[in-house]
Amino acid sequence: MPLLPRSTKMRETLSRRVFVILNIVFLIVLCIVYIVPIWNVVITSVADDTDVQGNVYLLYPKSFTLKAYLRILDGGYFKAFMLTLVTSVIGTVLSIVFTVAAGYSLSQKNLIGRRVFMLLITITLIFDVGIIPRYIVVSMYKMTNTYWAIFIPMLMSTFNLIIVRNYLSTVPESLMESARIDGCSEFGILLRIIIPVAIPIIAAVTLFYFVLYWNRYTEIVMFINDQTKSTLQVLLRTLMFEGDSADSRVQIFDNFKMAVMVMGMLPVLVLYPFIQRYFISGLMLGSIKG
Amino acid sequence: MIAKRTTAFGLKMKHQASLLILLAPAMIWYIAFNFIPLIGNLASFTNLKSVVLPWKIVGFDNFIRMYKSPDFWTAFWNTLIISFFYIVFYFPMPIILALLMNELKNRSFKRAVQTIVYIPYFFSWVVVGSIFITLLAPNRGIVNIIIGFFGGPSDTYFMASTQWFRPVLVMSYIWRQVGYGTVIYLAALSTVDLELYDAAKVDGAGYWLQLIHITLPSIRNTIVTMLLLNLSAVMRIFDQILVMQIPAVYSVSDVLRTYAFREGLDNRAIGYATAVSLLTSLLSCLLVLSMNKISKAIFDESVL
Repeated sequence: MPLLPRSTKMRETLSRRVFVILNIVFLIVLCIVYIVPIWNVVITSVADDTDVQGNVYLLYPKSFTLKAYLRILDGGYFKAFMLTLVTSVIGTVLSIVFTVAAGYSLSQKNLIGRRVFMLLITITLIFDVGIIPRYIVVSMYKMTNTYWAIFIPMLMSTFNLIIVRNYLSTVPESLMESARIDGCSEFGILLRIIIPVAIPIIAAVTLFYFVLYWNRYTEIVMFINDQTKSTLQVLLRTLMFEGDSADSRVQIFDNFKMAVMVMGMLPVLVLYPFIQRYFISGLMLGSIKG
Repeated sequence: MIAKRTTAFGLKMKHQASLLILLAPAMIWYIAFNFIPLIGNLASFTNLKSVVLPWKIVGFDNFIRMYKSPDFWTAFWNTLIISFFYIVFYFPMPIILALLMNELKNRSFKRAVQTIVYIPYFFSWVVVGSIFITLLAPNRGIVNIIIGFFGGPSDTYFMASTQWFRPVLVMSYIWRQVGYGTVIYLAALSTVDLELYDAAKVDGAGYWLQLIHITLPSIRNTIVTMLLLNLSAVMRIFDQILVMQIPAVYSVSDVLRTYAFREGLDNRAIGYATAVSLLTSLLSCLLVLSMNKISKAIFDESVL
């Protein structure tokens, strides 16, 4: 009688062991699939010109030089990099101010017309306006080909607004009531009470916004056709897919292409190890049903 | 007594006023860049070419032109086919990956995998497209080198091949997005009551029975939500294709959004492009609302 269960148990542990090993092997291979392409790009970007003219992209470092990056520094790409950085920072600050202010307001249950406002915002999630109508209004506002077009038309993300609102809805009413009795104004409450408790969500949403701005491509192509006002992503796309460089003086070697690509992913590569947990916690907060 | 009430009323008004002031900037933005463009959809019924030119109302001409245009139908079917591929091949991936990672005992290994797989989600489609163009380059990209190593032809130009471009789209979509879904499913899996498994083991249930009767039902809500989000996202797939497509593969990759984009911005047929864009938005809206209804009926769970 005890023999049978033991043998099934043993078989199960054996198959279990095989599974555990296969699982680990699979996940390691998966990580390689993720790391190798990025590694490939970084290694090629720091190689010398002579090492990148062969028939392969480099998989191991053959030489180390920042030549390609120095070429970027004195050309249109660097200007685009700075433009992207500056507009991303300004845009993120504006977005976060708008989002936190509106998120706080919408989290207050006694706000008049709260349901109507929420309905309007939800509509934008379900019925996407579409790109061409947005292009029409941006042209109507005479915004095309201006620096404003890089961040104003995409200032708010409904997803971010909703996660901020949901988070602020959980702040206990009593905290704000007592401040109101003490004569604190709504703005004072927002600054002194709400923002300090909402730091984790503000951090996460700030990151989301910054990445959105940094990565933006479609809207920039639509609203801006003056190459001197283009952002880095637009120039990178032209360089990689159409083979045209924004900098005619530079001979395009692979190390140059890869260096521009590294610039395109720079903020994420630099910040990711430190702020990864905010990205993950932000995602968790976002996945709470709203 | 009356004075007290008026001050309370005054306070309330002040409170409302400040709340509305805080809300105002965002609402003005929503009106300017979301609701006025909604009205801009009326351009579907005009022959608008660029925003300054004179225009006139042409009724349903744009929709008739759409119906007669073979390019429109190519884009229409491509949208459906590519969306279908994304749902079939991408949607289960994060669930499977999260289940596999959930089996890991070593927490730091688990965290490392999660960190690595989540990285590309923060890269732009331009960067992901550039990475794939490098990876898949004829003769010199890693993929072709590996194929060559095993004796296959190493000069396939995947990015320009009508045969390969759709698989490339699906693969790159999975590569970039899977980490995001995995993080969400892992969070959902961490909330499953472990005692349920112990009880199931006592009853002699193996891994598959536990999966079907405990794990999947416990994360059902997350799965339904993600399915709905995916459905609304795939109908709108645009950035990825706009970035990765080159004219050689338009026939297999042009979707409604990229078609509208080219008609509107390159061919200056704004009225016609708006009609295409409006139809896309309506279809996507319809799909999401009906899926929501279905999920309500089956799971008693409304996501919207």
